[in-house]
Amino acid sequence: MADAVTLNDLTKSFGPDRGVSHLTLDVGPGQVFGFLGPNGAGKSTTIRVVMGLYRPTSGSATALGLDCWSQGVALRRRVGYLPGDLTLFPRLTGREILDRLTKARDDVDTRLRQQLIDRFHAQLDRPVRTLSKGNQQKLGLVLAFMHRPELLVLDEPTSGLDPLMQDEFATLLEETVAEGRTVFLSSHDLGEVQRVAQQVAIIRKGRLVTVDTIEGLRNRAPRTIELRFRRPLADGSAFSALPGVRVTSHSGHRMVLTVEGDVGPALAAAVPLEPVDVVARPADLDELFRGFYAQPHREGELHAL
Amino acid sequence: MHSDVARLDLRLRRRSILGYTMGLAAYAWLIVALYPTFRHDTSLDALTKGSSTLSALLGASGSFTTPDGWMNANLYANFVPLFVLLMTIGYGASAIAGQDEEGTLSSIATLPISRTSLLLQKALALAILSLPIPAVTFLVALIGRDFQLRLATGALLGTTVAVVLLGLDFGLLALAVGSGTGSRGVALGVAGTFAAASYVTSSLAMTVHWMRPLRYASLFYWSVGHRQLIDGLSPSSLLVLLGAGVVLGILALGGFRHIDLH
Repeated sequence: MADAVTLNDLTKSFGPDRGVSHLTLDVGPGQVFGFLGPNGAGKSTTIRVVMGLYRPTSGSATALGLDCWSQGVALRRRVGYLPGDLTLFPRLTGREILDRLTKARDDVDTRLRQQLIDRFHAQLDRPVRTLSKGNQQKLGLVLAFMHRPELLVLDEPTSGLDPLMQDEFATLLEETVAEGRTVFLSSHDLGEVQRVAQQVAIIRKGRLVTVDTIEGLRNRAPRTIELRFRRPLADGSAFSALPGVRVTSHSGHRMVLTVEGDVGPALAAAVPLEPVDVVARPADLDELFRGFYAQPHREGELHAL
Repeated sequence: MHSDVARLDLRLRRRSILGYTMGLAAYAWLIVALYPTFRHDTSLDALTKGSSTLSALLGASGSFTTPDGWMNANLYANFVPLFVLLMTIGYGASAIAGQDEEGTLSSIATLPISRTSLLLQKALALAILSLPIPAVTFLVALIGRDFQLRLATGALLGTTVAVVLLGLDFGLLALAVGSGTGSRGVALGVAGTFAAASYVTSSLAMTVHWMRPLRYASLFYWSVGHRQLIDGLSPSSLLVLLGAGVVLGILALGGFRHIDLH
């Protein structure tokens, strides 16, 4: 089965330091794939290349086995798209927009369309310009899902949605991937992606920083271990020499460590020092992501799937 | 060919189509109804005597008081093309560049429709937009027979077609510039400037000797600049107006097939 999305050394340049550079990425089918990065990192640029709105400067982008630019018509028949800065025709009502775009597609499942309208409580009878951002976003979601596409490309999909609708959206994604379909969604919000995605790619300043599963990232995320010892320790040298271990604070009986990777070596080093208590806090993905966002790309950081 | 996108765009401009058309219909009716009052007013002809530059700039030449002179000076040499161009240049600049700038084009451009088909549908909407004003003016001019305003039907029809093609050509120019640059402002500016230059060239060529050869470069000249209301639309004029449309359409397509959309 072809990958849902494949980027092969993709570059889209708009001048120096603008665009995306040398992205190589394979998104397997039947999953929610999160595309994370800070504002201006190149998420929307990549998505527009996938949707055939931008022509690659070099390299290539394919989806469902079809070239995103030269075979765009056949591809877009099988893809649902929600733009990041969704702008619908302001003077038309939601119903009129849905009807006109349904006619233009000629492959819409009208029963599914109605189910989606009901699920998201989409408001259809008011001009779009009078709707809130969230209510416009609901129309955008109906438009993206209404022809039961094999691949969904969603740019910041929960933007403006209230928590209840975000839950509904998460359920819809679960149902979508359960049917073997693929969702490629971008976000700058880790919480959102962590909740729905199985794998993520992180992009920063137009370059791919890492690609991993959520579980893999969690394993790599730093965790905090607080130890209390029977006797005061002179220093943290027993821990600071260990790979991936950093002594965050130390005062008498108490030692706080930040550990990246397995905690085994740190615990083994603690045993001879007679620990009396240990508190481990869960992996802090936020911390990891902030690190990815903030630090320049380092060679070897990229973990292709 | 699908026409859903063309119909959507026409729906979005429904009010302006109605407004412009009704406005010009009212104005045309007034001009026609006033004709019996002025048809013997020879003082009007003094305005164009001696090839007045001022009257040429207003698009008037020859006699004001003949049916064709009256209709030419008051409608076909100025207001009818102006209103058609307002609609077609406005839409041409908006159809790709304007909709892309405001963000509505992405819903359309990501449908399973090729860019060629999308552009052809935009051109179809443009062609339909250029029809109502010349058509309603044609109908009002026919009513003019009840007001002693007798024009040859064939010539009137030919002039109507010429104005439609003129509007289509400048709309396609705006569409081509918008498709090439992605900027509505640039498309409006370029198409508006060319239209103004074309109008002035065609008008002044009647009185300014050295400008005479330049009139052949003016689409206004081929459309309404040389006795169309008497002689009708010549095959050469038809060819030039159609040819310009085809060339501009090809340029628009070339630009649209390569431009990045948002």
